[in-house]
Amino acid sequence: MSAHASAAGGPLLEIRGLHISSPSAPLVRGIDLAVHRGESVGIVGESGSGKSLTCRSALGIVPDPLRVSADRLAFDGQDLLTLSERRWRSVRGSRISAVFQDPASYLNPSLTVGRQLAEVLRIKLGRRRGAARREAVALLDGLGLRDPARVATRYPHELSGGMLQRVLIALAIAEEPDLLIADEPTTALDATVQAEVLDVIADLRRERGLALLFVSHDLAVVAQVCERVLVMRHGVVVEEGRTADVLAAPRHPYTRALLDAHDEYGLDRLRAHVPSAREVVHV
Amino acid sequence: MSVFRSPSVLRSPSSWAAAGILAVVAVLAVFGPLLAPHDPLAQNTAALLQGPSAEHWLGTDALGRDVFSRLLAGSPVSVAAALLSVAVGLVLGVVPGLLSVYLGRPFEWLSLRLMDTLIALPFLVFAIAMTALLGNGVIQAMVAVGILISPAFFRVTRAAALSVARSPYVEAATLVGASTPWIVRRHVWRHVLPAVAVTTASVTGASLVIVSSLTFLGIGVVPPDPTWGGLLATDLQYLYQRPWGPFAPALLIVATVWALNALADALRDAQTAEAGRDAAADDPSSGAPSPDAGSAGDPLFPVPDPQVPDREVVR
Amino acid sequence: MSETSLGEPLALLQDATIGYHRRAAVLHDVTLRIEQGESVGLIGETGSGKTTIARTLLGLTTVHSGRVTVGGRDLARLRGRALRTFRRDGVVQYVFQDPLRSLDPDIPVGDSVAEGLDVRGRLDRTVRSSRIAETLHAVGLDPELASRLPGALSGGQRQRIAIARALILEPRLLILDEPVSALDAANRVHVLDLLRASAAGRSFAQLFISHDLGSVAGVTDRVVVVYRGRIVEDGPTAQVIAAPQHPYTRLLIESAPTLESAGADRERRAELRALVAQGGTGA
Repeated sequence: MSAHASAAGGPLLEIRGLHISSPSAPLVRGIDLAVHRGESVGIVGESGSGKSLTCRSALGIVPDPLRVSADRLAFDGQDLLTLSERRWRSVRGSRISAVFQDPASYLNPSLTVGRQLAEVLRIKLGRRRGAARREAVALLDGLGLRDPARVATRYPHELSGGMLQRVLIALAIAEEPDLLIADEPTTALDATVQAEVLDVIADLRRERGLALLFVSHDLAVVAQVCERVLVMRHGVVVEEGRTADVLAAPRHPYTRALLDAHDEYGLDRLRAHVPSAREVVHV
Repeated sequence: MSVFRSPSVLRSPSSWAAAGILAVVAVLAVFGPLLAPHDPLAQNTAALLQGPSAEHWLGTDALGRDVFSRLLAGSPVSVAAALLSVAVGLVLGVVPGLLSVYLGRPFEWLSLRLMDTLIALPFLVFAIAMTALLGNGVIQAMVAVGILISPAFFRVTRAAALSVARSPYVEAATLVGASTPWIVRRHVWRHVLPAVAVTTASVTGASLVIVSSLTFLGIGVVPPDPTWGGLLATDLQYLYQRPWGPFAPALLIVATVWALNALADALRDAQTAEAGRDAAADDPSSGAPSPDAGSAGDPLFPVPDPQVPDREVVR
Repeated sequence: MSETSLGEPLALLQDATIGYHRRAAVLHDVTLRIEQGESVGLIGETGSGKTTIARTLLGLTTVHSGRVTVGGRDLARLRGRALRTFRRDGVVQYVFQDPLRSLDPDIPVGDSVAEGLDVRGRLDRTVRSSRIAETLHAVGLDPELASRLPGALSGGQRQRIAIARALILEPRLLILDEPVSALDAANRVHVLDLLRASAAGRSFAQLFISHDLGSVAGVTDRVVVVYRGRIVEDGPTAQVIAAPQHPYTRLLIESAPTLESAGADRERRAELRALVAQGGTGA
């Protein structure tokens, strides 16, 4: 992990002392978070822990009545706290991008998927119409969608959850960002589909050196995908470290409780050993 | 019905103006003839086609009758006629609207086709035809118009009912054995009423225009009884001598219709604002901690103090 | 383990082919028994037909052929008033997947919980209140919450209200559709604890529908796997998870990551998928 830091001369995403408050209460209370170039960091926590707000602050989309302040909130050395909305637009998508839990609600239901993808390519990357369309199909192909040309002609409601999520990932990586923030991207998907989408994400990291900030409530998914993990609760980080370490020897009672719950109600204690090596990607 | 409690409905200046106009019209509709200074039917050959004066606020017509009194006296008929057609339309529209959702496919198809047919018919022509058939009276004419207005209520009721009919909580009620009347009473009606209220306001305006058009053409009311539309038509051949003639009735009609439409808009806006607030409150990704107070605390996951109620965080 | 029952099962589908109205069948030659007091998990991906099985037990589908009985009553024949009476008897109750949308937003939750009682006729007020309070208490909620609107409750509380609404009628079969998918870690544990405790009490049978085998593994005696409208596996939970017979079940189990290892790699999954496509039982 430290190899990443020295290579880049500093973390890609740096958050220190992040505070987010509503008019009546603090919601995020002093978070420190760093994601290095090519690194994969996980955030585990329940709703209300502040994990989603933390991600939103890194995208500049914290909803209005909430106030954001931090000792440091920077991306690749550039300060994000004071960024105007206009400057944010040149950061979002092209440097930091995101996918969220429910893919259908992030797509325009009245446009075909290919068209929406091509639109991003045209507007943000200045591609010509024909080239944008071809590139959109190529992107979908790169994400493992069978018959990408046909998928591009489909409307969101005609595609399954797994395919939609892959479309969203395509939209997110179209401009080749350095960091992808994924907030519960596979929570709503079936187990088999989840495995495919996680594969896609692993491939992306391998091929593009994409850094990943991955939020999930599922410890096993985080174990598969992330090198480091932060456990959040009530707006603070209660534990952090290398994933393997945290999961093998948790220090905070909350982490321990999460693990106990996973053991008690998950597949692990009943399942026979699955023949595959641990696949966390180190870039 | 929370939408009616919403303050924004009442606060804008246009809402106040609309409410004021409608209040005046209501008074006229009830007390019009009593307030008239002169007998609306009294002819006075000595004072023909006079302009506005202290004696006759809006002047006199070709038969020497006081126009102002006629305007006041004609109010009940005009307003009542408009309301009658709205009432007919409401009953003939809302009931089938609800039934079309719950009585099964055949009835649904039948009612939809019937409404399609009614929509295709032109108001005035149909009303005229009805009076030709049933006799020249206001009631016949307005019942006819009411029939043609019913599709508006039908559609609105049906849409409101459908929006709720497929929702999980209605299905949940079905699964505990609720009958259709129960479901309509408890879950559906609440959504139908505001929609119907908005439609009523705007349809009344349209209806008033139709009444005026009919009476302008001389249909529905036997002279010398005054009506607003009829007064528009009075003495058109003397327009040169009395150019101010049509203004007063026209202004009254326009003001009333405007007020009704403004009321409809205000009601609709209040509903939209209400719906928007509810949607924001239900937003699960708003990021605020959930108000978990009241659930049995488990020591592993001790319950936090409720910090921010969901409603405060708006997307 | 479920008791071997010598008598009639609580619910039975026998060689049933089932669809919706006149449309094509969704379930083909399905045979499924649920014994009194048993706890069964029904697992399948989106579109597999698992929800259709649940809806069949509720009388919401069209039985093209075969037998469907619940509590001794022939469900295929029930219509109109008889069906309503059957529902009012409360033999089978259903807990929706989405707690938010399954409660009328303008009605206090206490009234929603008591709706099943109210449709039977006017109850004495004190009796009604105490029934509501009792049931809320049984699901771990403060009876004070009865006067609140759904919007003022958390996701976990709403799900418990939905369970309370089903339990107040003292059903013999409780069907829960993805009971914990929409919930975060802490609430998940609460609800699963609750369900496991009530399953242990054996006063009613439970049918859990889920796409996530892991979420029901800790709560059910038996697991049934559905794939493309057919039942492909049916056996005791521990056994099915430790030694699945059908390739699809193996695909499901092996796709899920655990804390120890990532899920099966893509070659293995492709292998299993091919087996499934062949329609074989796999080795």
